[in-house]
Amino acid sequence: MIVPMSHILAFSAALFVMGLACVLAQRNLIMILIGVEIMLNAVGLTLVGASALWQKVDGQIFVIFLMAMTSAEVSISLAMVVYLRRRKGTLEADAFDGMKG
Amino acid sequence: MSAGLLFLILAFPLLGALGNLLLGELLLRRVRAAVAVAAVAASALTCLLLWPLAAGEGTRATLFTWLESGTFQVSVDILFDPLSASMTLMVTLVSTLIHLYAAGYMEDEVDTTRFFVLLNLFVFAMLCIVLADNLLLLFLGWEGVGFCSYALIGFWYAEEKNAAAGRKAFLVTRVGDVFFGIALLWLFALCGTLSISAINAQASLLGSGTLLALTLLLLGGACGKSAQLPLMTWLPDAMAGPTPVSALIHAATMVTAGVYLLCRLFPLVSLSPTGMMAIAAVGALSALYAASCALAQREIKRVLAFSTMSQVGFMMLAVGAGAVSAAMFHLFTHAFFKALLFMAAGCVIHLTGGENDITRMGGLRKQSPFVFWLFLAGALCLAGAPLTGGFFSKDEILLADFARATLFYRGIWLLGTCTALLTAIYTFRLVYMVFAGEPRSHFHGHALPGPMRWTLPPLALLALGGGLLNLPPLYGGKEHLHQFLGPLAGTRIHASHAVEWALAVLAVALFFLGWALVHWRHRRAAPEPVGALPAFLLSGWRADRLVERGILRPFQVLAGWCWQWGDGRLIDGTLEGAGRLCLSGGERLRRLATGRLSTYLTALAWGLVVMLGYFAWRIL
Repeated sequence: MIVPMSHILAFSAALFVMGLACVLAQRNLIMILIGVEIMLNAVGLTLVGASALWQKVDGQIFVIFLMAMTSAEVSISLAMVVYLRRRKGTLEADAFDGMKG
Repeated sequence: MSAGLLFLILAFPLLGALGNLLLGELLLRRVRAAVAVAAVAASALTCLLLWPLAAGEGTRATLFTWLESGTFQVSVDILFDPLSASMTLMVTLVSTLIHLYAAGYMEDEVDTTRFFVLLNLFVFAMLCIVLADNLLLLFLGWEGVGFCSYALIGFWYAEEKNAAAGRKAFLVTRVGDVFFGIALLWLFALCGTLSISAINAQASLLGSGTLLALTLLLLGGACGKSAQLPLMTWLPDAMAGPTPVSALIHAATMVTAGVYLLCRLFPLVSLSPTGMMAIAAVGALSALYAASCALAQREIKRVLAFSTMSQVGFMMLAVGAGAVSAAMFHLFTHAFFKALLFMAAGCVIHLTGGENDITRMGGLRKQSPFVFWLFLAGALCLAGAPLTGGFFSKDEILLADFARATLFYRGIWLLGTCTALLTAIYTFRLVYMVFAGEPRSHFHGHALPGPMRWTLPPLALLALGGGLLNLPPLYGGKEHLHQFLGPLAGTRIHASHAVEWALAVLAVALFFLGWALVHWRHRRAAPEPVGALPAFLLSGWRADRLVERGILRPFQVLAGWCWQWGDGRLIDGTLEGAGRLCLSGGERLRRLATGRLSTYLTALAWGLVVMLGYFAWRIL
């Protein structure tokens, strides 16, 4: 391996934390979704790195599944974002508290 | 003669009850009464016709198998042996006369269908007890008479007092039935059968402790039904029912069922000497207790109720002394004269327009000599006037006691003799207060209907001549009943003629002493005594209050405590507390669900931090 595993892990951890920070800090629904994408990609990176480390193909297969799932997720969430925007005229996350107990 | 015909004795009263139950409302009043009387009369006739079957060992007949489960088998079979046959004949004969009397007594009453249905059903249940060769069938009859007695005491249930008396009778006798039920189950566990003959045959194999316990349990059952100490409080109150009911159920037949049970199981009972002593003691104490209470009663029927209790005590005493034939002899003469007394008392109440209080009666002899002479015939038998039925039977019981010649039985004999004196006194007090002198108040009496008149003389004949049933050899008799009962008659009395004469003379002396005392008081026109002792006796030694204080009040307190603490606080509190806990818990948890995305995401992040922290802590 050209890149040592520890670098890969450190990079993906940094990516994950940045995504998480984005999810937590942003109020806009689309920005939160982008944060989630970044977190998912950080996970994918770890999987690829692990696959290369152990010389097994499973991790890469997993990443392909992850991509497929992510695209499905994104299409549904964007559809919902459009719907929510039409309903309330805003994308502010805290405006939607209909599930309040 | 087929043994299967024996079931007709049971079937006729049941058919009469069913017929009146289904069709009674459609029939004329007279026809209704006629159906009831005919049903019982047919039963009596069948019993007479089938009499030869009873000779010797008797006849056993099986109708069908009632219950069958593995080795447990109960068949409806009846035993027609000398003991049950003579009892059946007495029950059916007396019942026929009382049914006839009731037809007259209830002439102006509404709802006679219910009355006659219950009366016939009662006779059916009583015959079940008498004829059953199976303790379970006997128990069925036992509960049946209890139910009929309850329903008939409360016949005029519109008055709270009557309904309460019925309830009291039902509940108090139920206490005795619990003992009897335990004895029944225990006998089944020990012997593997409920057949009376089989149990009697196997009884000698049981241990003495078991026998004593069984005897005491059976005695408990008999005490409930026969109104003996300490389960006697229901009988005086049972007089709230119509007079024919008092005559039939609470004097002639049902109250003697306890004595009959002990006679039926005598082979078992007699094996426990301590048990026999307990029976004798209960009988003697009940006899004395009831006789003393009868001295002070003011209601004519209550006097008779206490005297019934006292006389049944004598029968128990006889069983306790081992003299079954003497017990049955007294049972028969008592049934005749007590039914007569109750029916004559019913006539007295009729003549005085519903008056029950003897202190307000008087002078009825002039008004109705007919009732006077018949009442006197019954009273003489009760008091034990020489040569009447009651004299011979009571004498034989006391003789049987005296002949046992141990200190205990001599003591019992002394109690019995005192009771005999008290009996003479309260009987003549009753006769003098009702019939002698001048009327103490003015009455609007009714005329006596025919059936009420003409049923009395046959009973008077039976009562006065009852002694012939079992006339002892001392008076040239042959002891027919004793001979007829054969091996069922209990232990033989061994007494010299001198002792027999001495006891007979003593009995006559006591009778005349009692009479003289009452006559002397009457001549002096002494007023009714007042004070603490008569009040004490009037209230039946305050037994009711004792039961109230000793049992009912603690029971109510305990029940109240169980209700308020056990049910109200403990159970309800636990359930409601659990519900309240869930509610408040939900209320708290509700606040966590803000519905805001940011809250959930923060929680997610914190969860992540916790997990990572945990792993970090594991590694370090």
